[in-house]
Amino acid sequence: MIDLIFKNPEVLADMFFSNPGFIIIFAGFLCAFLPRNEARKFLVGAAPIAAAFLVWRAAGDMDGARRAIEAGGNEFVLMRIDRLSMIWGYVFCLAGVLNAIYALHEKCRITDSSALIYMGAAVAGVFAGDFLTLFIFWELAALSSVFLVWKGGENAFPAGVRYLAIHILSGVLLLAGAVIYARSKEWDFTFGEAGEYGFLSLQDPGAVLLMIAMGIKCGFPFLHNWIQDAYPKASVTGTVILSAFTTKLALYALARTFAGEDILIYIGAIMTCFPVFFAVIENDLRRVLSYSLNNQLGFMVCGIGLGTELAMNGVAAHLAADVIFKGLLFMSMGAVLMRVGTAKASELGGLFRSMPYTTIFCLIGAGSIAAFPLLSAFVTKSMIIASAMNQHEYIVMGMLLFASAGVMEHSGIKVPYFAFFSHDSGKRVKEAPWNMLVAMGLASLLCVFFAFPWGGYQFLYSLLPFPENYYAPYTGNHVVTQLQLLFAAMLAFAFLKRMKVYPDERRAEILDFDWTYRRLGKGIAVWIDAMWTRLSANLAIIRKDFFAKAGQRLYHMFSPAGTFSVGAPSGLPTLLTGGMLVLVLIVVYLARL
Amino acid sequence: MAKKPQSKKQDDHIHPFARKFLWLGDEKIIRGFIWVPIIGLIITVMAGFIFPHDPKHAAPWDIWRVGFTWDSFPSWALIGFCAYSFVVLSAEPLFRLLSRKENYYGEEEVPEVIIEPTAEVHHHD
Repeated sequence: MIDLIFKNPEVLADMFFSNPGFIIIFAGFLCAFLPRNEARKFLVGAAPIAAAFLVWRAAGDMDGARRAIEAGGNEFVLMRIDRLSMIWGYVFCLAGVLNAIYALHEKCRITDSSALIYMGAAVAGVFAGDFLTLFIFWELAALSSVFLVWKGGENAFPAGVRYLAIHILSGVLLLAGAVIYARSKEWDFTFGEAGEYGFLSLQDPGAVLLMIAMGIKCGFPFLHNWIQDAYPKASVTGTVILSAFTTKLALYALARTFAGEDILIYIGAIMTCFPVFFAVIENDLRRVLSYSLNNQLGFMVCGIGLGTELAMNGVAAHLAADVIFKGLLFMSMGAVLMRVGTAKASELGGLFRSMPYTTIFCLIGAGSIAAFPLLSAFVTKSMIIASAMNQHEYIVMGMLLFASAGVMEHSGIKVPYFAFFSHDSGKRVKEAPWNMLVAMGLASLLCVFFAFPWGGYQFLYSLLPFPENYYAPYTGNHVVTQLQLLFAAMLAFAFLKRMKVYPDERRAEILDFDWTYRRLGKGIAVWIDAMWTRLSANLAIIRKDFFAKAGQRLYHMFSPAGTFSVGAPSGLPTLLTGGMLVLVLIVVYLARL
Repeated sequence: MAKKPQSKKQDDHIHPFARKFLWLGDEKIIRGFIWVPIIGLIITVMAGFIFPHDPKHAAPWDIWRVGFTWDSFPSWALIGFCAYSFVVLSAEPLFRLLSRKENYYGEEEVPEVIIEPTAEVHHHD
């Protein structure tokens, strides 16, 4: 089959254009060799647009778009599209275009190239129809994205190494799980049929490994630290790019594989709640947003666990909204970092005076994530909460409501308040460059459009996996209850601020579960290394001493001046030699039996 | 939340678009901000009587008898206020428990580079 492809250019071209991710990956490799910045920027913007066109073309004939090759006795399904992968594909391409505009000012071949390869791998992974193809793009996404972390400077290098290690581990677990699963299915690596969501349960062979692999990339509790470790340390543009793809690719894999798996409901609910407590005490606003990213992923993981049509629609819709509003918030903090030189809340404040447009865009992003009516999350997150309620998961629903108030705290109020308002830090800087403002402006427009009552949310809903499952977000009761929650949270903020109970931001490192490997694990490794060094040194002395003494003894016994030659009775050596001969004969005799 | 006196040089560097919104930094406005959520909350709680919870599609805590109807209790407002306050009030003990000095992990803190010097502020790009 491979021979057939390479001997026939038409088949090769057909394969190349089959998966929209390939064209982006190719553009990425091309960028690595292009010296002209303008040419690279053209590719960075044009590749996702071309890929979006390919997604649209493939969506027109989903069955006909399927492409597979056979190699090494396995079938690699390079392209498989259904309504779940379609919306992921569109959203990734849209994020790619926004990121391209945001990074227009940056002249960096590594960023351009790795951003494209990374994005292309995510898109290609979404359209992969078997575990082996998914694994290849899973790992390519990890390998290409680490350069975006390392572009953050010297501080980012150790975080990048940790990021790479944990993502490679995720890939290895994915492959191991896939192999165990495929062995039980007569080596069938199919990654679910088109339109099939939740084709595995945790009892299936290899499923636990697959869930851990996906859980690492999704930021499950105790596996989440790479997000808060690497994202805030990446470059200004790198963080924006990173926030869109890795975790969302994993969400897609989770939705495809484990939709309706009960344990995900509770994992997701915990994921929505625990980052809230870290975000409230964190000083670095890009790390606050990383916790916020974790919290939003929790809503989607919970929706995947609920697994109903409404919940799956909610997951897909919230993915689209989240990629845009989270990208927007990271963009605004990136602009602040670029202009001020820091994103630490304790050093910021009053920036609305010099960055008014960025302030407005950040407020729109904050309103969107907090789910204010007429802004995107209002029409998306509510589907997941409604689904929890419909399934009488009231504790989970309560946790999601608690987390919604928490979102209002860390992303809705804290980020814009400490950066742009609060006390005036006296810093007067330039507004963000025009390209960043355009990208943030477009993202803001999308935040409004996705929730626009007259044609906006209807368009978003038409792209969902189950478009026939009608959900009406703008009911009087939904608007009223959501506004009650948000106004009450705002009142709590204003009240606690007036009572001087609201904590000021302080510079500090906040410990999280990564302490176990960054401090405890490292400490144990250092201790083992020190002990090993001591032990080896002592062993060397003992060994040296032993051989020296043994040699000395032998010399004393067997040398011409030794004990045997001088002092022993003349019959003793003969007796010993005879005894040795008998022993040897017995051993040889027994060995031959 | 005392307002810092601004120097003439700082005022010169304020973005032209932001000049129309400098009142946002006014002490009176900041202190009066609390009325925005209070008024919003009063309106939405009253609106809750016009748009009550649907008893068939409501959580147990939404169904309370308030006035003439069973299902107009502003439970989401209560959840919002309590949850927000709990999160904020937990900050201090959590900070004491989890905070360490900035270079705790010993990964060299290199000062972040300021790409655009603040001295050269122009708002015309």
